[in-house]
Amino acid sequence: MDLSSFEADNSSSCRLASHIPEVCRTEDCCLGIDEAGRGPVLGPMVYGICFCPVSKKEDLKDLKVADSKTLTETERENLFQKLDEAKSYIGWALQILSPNTISTSMLQRTKYNLNALSHDTAIGLVQYALDSGVQLKEVFVDTVGPAEKYEEKLSQLFPGIEVTVRPKADSLFPVVSAASICAKVARDRVVKDWKFAEDLGEVDTDYGSGYPNDPKTKAWLLKYMDPVFGYPQFVRFSWSTAQTLMDSKAATVHWDDDDEETGEKAAQRQNNRSMLSYFSASAGGKDHNPTRKTHRFFTERRLKSLNTL
Amino acid sequence: MSCNTSVTRLCVSSVNEAQRAPVHLTPCEIEHNGPAQVSQYFTATTKNRKQEQTVSFRGRCLRGQELSCPQGYTGLVLKEINKPGSDQEDRTVKVSSVFDKLTYWNLETPPNSDDTVVMAMDWPELAEAIHGPVED
Repeated sequence: MDLSSFEADNSSSCRLASHIPEVCRTEDCCLGIDEAGRGPVLGPMVYGICFCPVSKKEDLKDLKVADSKTLTETERENLFQKLDEAKSYIGWALQILSPNTISTSMLQRTKYNLNALSHDTAIGLVQYALDSGVQLKEVFVDTVGPAEKYEEKLSQLFPGIEVTVRPKADSLFPVVSAASICAKVARDRVVKDWKFAEDLGEVDTDYGSGYPNDPKTKAWLLKYMDPVFGYPQFVRFSWSTAQTLMDSKAATVHWDDDDEETGEKAAQRQNNRSMLSYFSASAGGKDHNPTRKTHRFFTERRLKSLNTL
Repeated sequence: MSCNTSVTRLCVSSVNEAQRAPVHLTPCEIEHNGPAQVSQYFTATTKNRKQEQTVSFRGRCLRGQELSCPQGYTGLVLKEINKPGSDQEDRTVKVSSVFDKLTYWNLETPPNSDDTVVMAMDWPELAEAIHGPVED
């Protein structure tokens, strides 16, 4: 697994894939989908697919793949090695969603929530397998949301493919376990060796599991908070853990699409004369001559005369 | 608001000592007055694609571009030397840095010629045409 293309720019989303086994282009195949790193406040979320001919299901089972969560890191690495050695009939692909992608999607003006992002990523990976010529007949998906609706959605999108969506699918279907191992191995490696794009010097990598309730993660989040910028891009800003910490310890930031602030409060704040107020038509306000309206040329450009700083 | 009996003085001599500094105009207001680790966090993660730049701030995507000050103008960053106790007292500001271009950032929207700050730069030329001396 070569992670260098993601590491070259770990602020974006990145797809990694194995070679497509020739047999997967000619024989009916099954495919499993699972994700790793949905809950942590740190690092990427990784979506994985794994596929093989339906006729090879038993061989896959014999590799003794299991739900990645029940395995140790070493066991996962060993199993990934085995999957890789079986590349004559097993293929995989991953979509690494960087923490920055997660933050900027979830905090977008028109919110793009994690479930929608997850579904779109999974769909994108299935489409990738189809576009690569894999003869998909069965798809097995692990889900955290309501399984039935998701199953219906996928079945409609991919007619002719039998879609099975189940909670805990990673422990029910070996091909999903295999996908979960690929995803988890990638996530672990990326987190362990995170290249900070920020210029932070030596960074303490003892950030624990990345889960919000891990004391090590909490301590790390406190240590690496910047009063202005908040966090490096390694942190998911859209997680309430990060937001709560910033609310209490970092400078407050106001955006024009904030909804909790009333117009009056915003106007009051503008009187504190931010940089922006020099371009604002409403700031100050008192020095307007009420009988003469400012020409649209100026209001459109938020230009006004200043007689005091 | 002051009733403008006070006078604000600008130490003109400080212009010569002022350093040129990079200036960013952000689409948000940060309740912070003081130094910030701009180069470590912001500049280090800014990506350049042709004219357009992208970066994220507090988990939100910003897209920006460089904008020059109008011809013949210099941007000034002013700093108040001693904050007066009341708005009746005179005030003195000095130039802490100067700039002839700035980077302005939109929240998610690609920078374009309709952006307020871009259009605002039209004014000096128009003002010159309206108010400048007439030559023939």
